[in-house]
Amino acid sequence: MNKHLTAAGAALALISPFLAWTWTPLYPGDLTLYGYPGGSQLVTLVCALTATALLAAPRLAPAGAVRALRAASLAALTTTWVTVVAIAVDLGGVVNLEPGAWLAAGSTALLAVGAHRLPDDTLDPPRPVPRLPRWAEVLVITAVFVLAMYVLTYGITTGSPEEFLAFLPAALFLGRALTVSGLGAALGALTARNRTATAVAALAAALVFPFTQSDGQYTAIADNILIFAAVALGLNIVVGLVGLLDLGYVAFLGTGAYTAALVSGSSFSTLDIGPLPFWATALLGMAVSLVAGIVIGAPTLRLHGDYLAIVTLGFGEIFRITVNNLDGSSGPSLTNGPNGINSVPDINVLGFDFGAEHHILGVEFGRFANYYLLLLAVIALVVFLYSRVGDSRIGRAWIALREDEKAATAMGIEGFRFKLLAFAMGASLAGLAGTVMAHLQTNAVPDNYKFADTAPPNSAFLLAAVVLGGMGTVSGPLVGAALLYLIPAKFEFFSKYQMMLFGLALVVMMIYRPEGLIPDRKRQLEFHEEAVTT
Amino acid sequence: MRRTRLFRLGVPLAAGALALCACGSRDKGASASGTSATTTVTIGFDAPLSKDLAAVGLGMKNAAELAVNQANKNHTVPGVTFKLAAKDDQATPTIGQQNAAAFAADDDVVGVVGAYNSSVSAAMQSTLHQAGIVQISGANTNPALTRGADYKSAPKRQFDNYFRVITTDDVQAPVAAEYFYQDLGIKKVAAVDDKKVYGAGLVKEFTEAFTALGGKVVVHQSINPDESDYASVVGTVKSSGAQGVYYGGEYPQAGALKKQLVAAGFDGPLGGGDAVKDDAVIPLAGTKAADGIYTTSDGRPVEDLASAKSFISAYKAAGYDEPYGVFGAYTYDATNALIQAVKAAADTGAPAAKELRPKVVKAMGSVTFTGATGQVGFDEYGDSVNKVISINTVKNGAWQDGIKVFTK
Amino acid sequence: MTATELTQLLADGLILGSMYGLIAVGYTMVYGILQIINFAHGEIYMLGGFGALFVYAWVPGLRAIPLWAALPVLLVVAVAVSVAAATGAERFAYRPLRGAPRLAPLISAIGLSLFLQQVVFNFFTLPGSSMGVTAPVPFPQFETAPLDLAGVQVSVAGLLTLALAAFGMVALTWFVRRTRTGRAMQATAQDPATARLMGIDTDRIIVIAFAIGAALAAVACVTQGLRLGTVSYNMGFITGLKGFTAAVLGGIGNIQGAMAGGVVLGLAESLASGALPHIDALAMFSGSVWKDVWAFVILIVVLLIRPQGLFGERVADRA
Repeated sequence: MNKHLTAAGAALALISPFLAWTWTPLYPGDLTLYGYPGGSQLVTLVCALTATALLAAPRLAPAGAVRALRAASLAALTTTWVTVVAIAVDLGGVVNLEPGAWLAAGSTALLAVGAHRLPDDTLDPPRPVPRLPRWAEVLVITAVFVLAMYVLTYGITTGSPEEFLAFLPAALFLGRALTVSGLGAALGALTARNRTATAVAALAAALVFPFTQSDGQYTAIADNILIFAAVALGLNIVVGLVGLLDLGYVAFLGTGAYTAALVSGSSFSTLDIGPLPFWATALLGMAVSLVAGIVIGAPTLRLHGDYLAIVTLGFGEIFRITVNNLDGSSGPSLTNGPNGINSVPDINVLGFDFGAEHHILGVEFGRFANYYLLLLAVIALVVFLYSRVGDSRIGRAWIALREDEKAATAMGIEGFRFKLLAFAMGASLAGLAGTVMAHLQTNAVPDNYKFADTAPPNSAFLLAAVVLGGMGTVSGPLVGAALLYLIPAKFEFFSKYQMMLFGLALVVMMIYRPEGLIPDRKRQLEFHEEAVTT
Repeated sequence: MRRTRLFRLGVPLAAGALALCACGSRDKGASASGTSATTTVTIGFDAPLSKDLAAVGLGMKNAAELAVNQANKNHTVPGVTFKLAAKDDQATPTIGQQNAAAFAADDDVVGVVGAYNSSVSAAMQSTLHQAGIVQISGANTNPALTRGADYKSAPKRQFDNYFRVITTDDVQAPVAAEYFYQDLGIKKVAAVDDKKVYGAGLVKEFTEAFTALGGKVVVHQSINPDESDYASVVGTVKSSGAQGVYYGGEYPQAGALKKQLVAAGFDGPLGGGDAVKDDAVIPLAGTKAADGIYTTSDGRPVEDLASAKSFISAYKAAGYDEPYGVFGAYTYDATNALIQAVKAAADTGAPAAKELRPKVVKAMGSVTFTGATGQVGFDEYGDSVNKVISINTVKNGAWQDGIKVFTK
Repeated sequence: MTATELTQLLADGLILGSMYGLIAVGYTMVYGILQIINFAHGEIYMLGGFGALFVYAWVPGLRAIPLWAALPVLLVVAVAVSVAAATGAERFAYRPLRGAPRLAPLISAIGLSLFLQQVVFNFFTLPGSSMGVTAPVPFPQFETAPLDLAGVQVSVAGLLTLALAAFGMVALTWFVRRTRTGRAMQATAQDPATARLMGIDTDRIIVIAFAIGAALAAVACVTQGLRLGTVSYNMGFITGLKGFTAAVLGGIGNIQGAMAGGVVLGLAESLASGALPHIDALAMFSGSVWKDVWAFVILIVVLLIRPQGLFGERVADRA
C-alpha cells in the first residue's frame, strides 16, 4: 500500500516537470512550456528520478534504500515547494500557478509521505559492493567528479535567487541520500583504492569549468571561492588537525596580499621594488607570512586553547589596525593606510599575461578564467601538501596533540614544535593565496581583513567554512567554502538579515551537527558517543 | 515479486522521462519583446545596500532610480528606455569586482553608476575598463582614482572610462582651510581623522592647504570610528592650544566628537567635509553643542539653485523610505550624466547597448548640464569641473546653508 | 606634559577601567565555573544600553522628569534585558553543549554574538525613525557641566561610573563570600562534580553566574551611554574583547582581580593614547588608533610572564 502510494507520487512527480507550472515567462527559467522542463523544473526532475531509481532498484543502495528514498523525497519536496511558493510570491498570488505546479506540489508531497511510511530497511553492515575492474573504477570516479562539478556549476550559474533557493535544499538532501544509501562510503573506498586517478579526475573536472563559461561573470565568483577555499584548507591544518583555534587567520592572507602588492611595481607601492616575477612574489609572500606565523605563534602557542583563541583574535585586529596606520602620518610609511595599494598589475608568467584574453582550444579565456587556472594550481598544491603531511609522522603527531595533549607529550611528542610547524605551514599557505588575491583584485586594502563581515574572506567566515564543512578533512572546507561564498552571493535580497542568520546557523550547527557536513570519522565519534552509522 | 513489478514500471517511466527531455523546443528569442520600437538598456548601479552603510547606499539608489524614471517619463533619449540594475557591494572590494564582472557580462548594460567606497571603485575599474563600460561615481573623492598615485606632481589619467561628478578631497579641503584661516581667524588648528579613505584624505589636503596659508596644525589625531570614547583625543586637542578642530570623517563620529569636545570645555568650531552635513549630526552632538559645526559642500546652496530644488521636491514626491542623504544629489547627477552621454551616443544610430558602450565612454567627456549639485561636466582626467563650494554651519540647532560660497 | 594633564589621563583611565572591570566580572565568573569564554558577553552588555534607551524613548513620562530621577528605571530595565538575554543564551546555546569539545561552545558563542548584534541592527526602532539602527544613536545626557577638581575635568557620568562600579563590587563580594548561594558558587567553581554530590543545583548556580555578569555589564553600558552620548549596535565587540582582556589580566576566575585588571587596562590605554606621544621613540605608535594594539600587547606579555594573571591564582585546568 505504502509502496504504491510512493510509486504513484514518484511517477506523478516525474511527469510534472513536463507540464507548465506558470503562465508567464517572467518567472526565471521560463516554466511555461509543455514537454520541455527548464529552470527549477530540472531540479525537481532529477530528484524525482533519483527517488524512482531507488524505488525501482533498491539494490542500488548497499546500506538500504528506504532512508535514501526518504532523503530523495525530501529533496523533491523542498525544491518543488520552494519553486511553487516562489512563483506565487513573485507573481503575486496562487492564480499564477498552472495545473502542472499543483501536480508537482501534490505529487512530491505524496512521495514524501509514502517514503516516510515505508518500513526502514537499513542494513548493518551494508551489503558488500562488488569490485569492478580497474578501468571501470576509474571511469566511475571520473563520472562522479564530472557530476559533482556539474552540480556545483549549476549552483554557481543560477541566474536568480529563486533558482538557487530551489537548488540548495535539493543538493543537500540528495547529498544526504548519497550518504545514507551507503554509496558514499562505497565511493570513499573506491577513491581510496585509486588515489592518483581520483586526484587527476578531480583536477580534470575542475579544469572543465572555465570552458563552459562564455564570460567572466561566474568565473569571478569561482575565483573568489577558490581563494576562500585555499585559505580555509590552510586554516584546517591549524584548527582541524592540531585543534588550535585561530580567530585571526585572515591576517596571514592579508600579509601575503600586502607583500605581493608592495613588490608588484604598482605606482602606489611605497617600495621601489619590482615588478618581481610571480614565482618570486609567491615565494616572498609565503616567506613573509611564514615569518609572521612564527612571530605570532612562538609566544602564543604555549598558551592554552581558549587563551590562544583570544590572543589570535587580538593579533588579527592588530594586523588590520597596523596596516591601516602605516601611512606616514600615524605610523611609519608602508601601506598607504586606509587607501591601500591600488593598481596592482596583472600577473605575467613567461609572457602569458593574466590580464589579457587568450584562446585555448578555441575557447576564449578572459582575465578571470586565467586566474581560475592559476588558483586551481594553488589549490592543487595546498591539497597535495595537506594530504601528504596529514598522513605523515607529523600529521599523526598533530592528531595526537589534538586528541590528548598530555598523553601525546608523554609519548615524546614535542607539542610546541609541532604546533609551531602547523601554525607556520597554515600561515604560508594563506600567504600564497593572498599573493594571488592582490593581483586578482588589483588592490590590497585593510577593509578586506576583518574579524567578521558579511562577505568572505574574514576570520569568522573562514572558521565557519572549516566547521561547516567538517574539520580535519580535505573536502569539508572546500564544500564549506563554496557554500559560504555562494549563499551570501546568491541571496542579495537577503543581505539585510544575512549576518543574523549566519550567526544563528553557527549556534544551531553546534547543537545538532558539530562535526560538519563531511565529518572526519574520528571526530564524529568524538561528538557522538553512540555508534556512528553513516 | 512486488519489487520486480515496480521495477518494470519504473524503468520505462524513467526512460520516457529522459526521452521527453530531448524533445520540445526552447527558443530564447520567442519571448523577448522585439516588436516595439524602443530599446531597453540597463544602467548598472553599485553601492553598499546592506550593513552600516545601507542608509547612504539606499539613498543613492533611490536617487539613481529617480533619474531613470524621469528620463523614461520625459523620453529624454528617444527610442531608448532605461532600466536600473542595482547591486549591493557590501562596501567590499571583492564583491564590487564581482558585480563589475556581472555588469560586463550583461549585454544590456550600457554604463555603471557607483561605487560609494573609493576602494571598491578601484577594484571595479579594471574589469569595467576591459569591457569598455563607462563608470561614473557620485561619491568617490580620492584624487588618486582619476589622477594616479602622484596626483599632485604628475597627474596621469588612470582609466578613460572612469568619471565622477563630486569634487575631490584636494578641492574641498583647501576651501575649508581658507575659510578657517581667513573668515574664522583661526591660526592654530587640531586635525582629527577617522583613518578611513575619505577622512584621512580630507585631513591630508586640509593640513597642506592650511600650512600653506600660514596657519599651524598643532596636533594630528585619529579616532577609531568603531568606538565612541574620544576622551584622549579631546584631551590632546584641549591641551594643544588649538583654536578649532578640522575633522575628516562622517557625521556619526563628528557629532559625538563635537559633543565630547564641548563637554570637556572646548568651545572652538569643528569643521568637516560634506559627509558631516547631515541633519542627524545635531541630535548626536546635542542641540547646544552642535553650534559651531562648519562643513563644506559642492555647489551652491539649495535655495539658490532651481535644479536642486526640483530634485528635492521630486525625491519627496516619489515617497522613498530613506532620505537621499549626503550623496543622493551627486548620484542623481551621475545617473543623469550617463543618460546624457547615452543620448549623445545614440544620436549616431542603432542603440544596442553593447555597441553603445565605447560611444558612451567617448561621449561622457563632453557631457555638460546644470544638475542638482550645480554645473556637471568633466575635465581631461574625468574629474568634475564643478568647483563651486559652499560653507554651511549649524546655528541655534539648525543648519544654515551657504553662508559663504567659494568659486575655485 | 604637566602634572594636571597626567592626572587627567589617570582619571579618564580609572573611569574607563572601572567600566571594563564591570564587564570583566561576567567573563571571569562564567569562565571560573564552566571554563568557556562567553564570547557573546559584549553583546549582552550592548543589549543593556539599548534596553534602557528603548524605555527612555518610548515611555513619554520618563522624558518629562529629570534624568537622575529616571535613571533607576533605566538601570532596572537595562539589567532586566541583559539578564534575560544572558540566561536565554545559557539555556539555548551553551547548556546543550556541556561536555562537548571546547571548540563547540566557543564557535556557538561567536555565532550568538553576531546574531545578537544583528537583531539590534535590524529591529531596534526609535520613535519616528525607520526600523533598524545603522549609525550610533544618541543616549540621554546629563546637562550638568563637568566638575573641575583642581584643573582635572570629571563628568557627572564618569563619577557615576566609579560609584556604581564600587557599589557593584562590594555587593558582589558580599554575595559570594557571605550568602549560601555565593558559597555554593565557589564550590561549583572549584569542583562541579563534587558540588553536585553535595546537593548543590549546579545548573541553577550557572544561570546565576550568567545573570550576575549580565547585570553588571548592563550597568556598565548605561554608564558608558551617559558618559559618551551614544550607543551603537557594534559597541559590544571591541569592548567585550577588552573586558575579557581585563579578566585575563586580573587572573581569570578571580572576581576582585577582574576589576583590578580592568583598571590596569583602562590606565594603560589612557596613557598609551595620551602620554606615549611625549616619548619620542614611541611617538609613532601612540594615539588612540594604536591603543588597542597596546592593550593586546600588554595581554600577551602578561600571559607569557604570569599566565595566572596579575592578581589571580591559576584556575585548575579541567579540560
